[in-house]
Amino acid sequence: MSNISSRCRVVITGLSVVSPLGNTIAELSKQVFGGISGIKLLDVPFADKLDCKIAAQASFDPADHFTKHTYGMLDRTSQMALHTSIEAVKHAGLEITDQLKPRMGIYLGTGMGGAHSVEDGYIRLYRDGLSRLKPFTVLMGMNNAAASAIALEHQLTGPNLTFSTACSSSSVAIGEASRLIRHGYADVMLAGGSEALLTFGTIKAWEALRTLAAQDESDLTTSCKPFSADRTGLVLGEGAAILVLESYEHAMARGATIYAEILGYGSASDSTHITQPSVNGQAATMQAAILDADLPADAIQYINAHGTGTVLNDVAESNAIKKVFGDHAYELSVSSTKSMHGHLMGAAGALEAIITTLAVYTDTLPPTINLKNPDPECDLDYVPNVAKTLPKLNYAMSNSFAFGGTGAALVLKKITQ
Amino acid sequence: MTTPTLDEVAQALSQMVADKMDIDVASIQADSSLQSLGLDSLDIFDLIFSAEDHFKIKVPNDQIKIETLHDVSVLVHKLTVEQNK
Repeated sequence: MSNISSRCRVVITGLSVVSPLGNTIAELSKQVFGGISGIKLLDVPFADKLDCKIAAQASFDPADHFTKHTYGMLDRTSQMALHTSIEAVKHAGLEITDQLKPRMGIYLGTGMGGAHSVEDGYIRLYRDGLSRLKPFTVLMGMNNAAASAIALEHQLTGPNLTFSTACSSSSVAIGEASRLIRHGYADVMLAGGSEALLTFGTIKAWEALRTLAAQDESDLTTSCKPFSADRTGLVLGEGAAILVLESYEHAMARGATIYAEILGYGSASDSTHITQPSVNGQAATMQAAILDADLPADAIQYINAHGTGTVLNDVAESNAIKKVFGDHAYELSVSSTKSMHGHLMGAAGALEAIITTLAVYTDTLPPTINLKNPDPECDLDYVPNVAKTLPKLNYAMSNSFAFGGTGAALVLKKITQ
Repeated sequence: MTTPTLDEVAQALSQMVADKMDIDVASIQADSSLQSLGLDSLDIFDLIFSAEDHFKIKVPNDQIKIETLHDVSVLVHKLTVEQNK
């Protein structure tokens, strides 16, 4: 069992996103609790060459936020992450003093890193037949570019790590950052993820895996249908999501608004198959988080599911929830907000952690939209189609699972100030 | 390709620096140090890269010993002359 008495409490004091559901917390809240989808026709020049022409794109123009000199050295992934980090610090009302800098760091998740820059390089070499690459190619493409841009911007000299565990990357980043604070290695951490993988090559690679949703021609925005009998797969998304994590003492000393407490974090590896979800692995992940939170399982009232909308994941995750929670699985609520914001891969866990934080903070459960034809094998309460209020929503969990098998779950607790 | 004059090279390079650094081209003097224009070592590599593309030249690593925009102009002009011999 974890030893609560010897550790710092870790709280969430700032939130920021660039997402398919808007680039402010207010816009995100309005859309995600309003059941509004951000999935639409992909606005890219190569759309006619795609089998699946839909995605959850973020509306983000770097020129709105940075000089050309700044954004010209950054991949889209880093541009979104950097902007999000600046807004997160503002949202937290945090002044990063010289005294704080060595006690503050950045943990970021990303699946594909600088996918645009890597692909641009290949285009120059292999398609255009050029013999050399732009000088910034390495610096823009490397997976730790976004985290490093953030550390530079805010002059953070504490820990700076990038986690790449595919779809669970940013949940791992948040969980590991919370442990740093919990055990006294940092007072404040920026933690989250960023992903910008809507490139021709990356989408083609996903098409080849046959996990992408078919377009629902009756209404493209409804193409992602987690837990529904007629679900056909996931919808790729892009964006960045960053939380400001802080020790409770540090937050209280500066009078910060606390949105929730990170009570527990668990991670486990399926180690069964590179893509197929494992009920045992998912259950072990959730159990590890509950154990870390030092809670009885039946304290959990809401789970923001990984809920990709693939045939395999949604049944496996439902069965894993039943395995962990027993009869309580039918009392708690589960929802997949990917039905609205798509799958942000390396940023998915962080976006969903922010949504779960907002759920706990406002006592409101975001819905799983497009759930009109339930799968008999998915028989839990998935908050179908419409958000619902749950007074005293004290404990919630956010799940992330991944190709490669790394699962991560976070347990959040309401803070009454 | 006609060999550009030193002035033409300098003008083209000034425009590249202005575009890259988001500054007014009129504020750039031929003898401005690259550092004073805000370019760090990576920016200088990027400027050289753009010049190589624009003038269809290749700047050898051992010749990148430059401090001012004028140094870059002279180097690029010399290479364009050699290229068009």
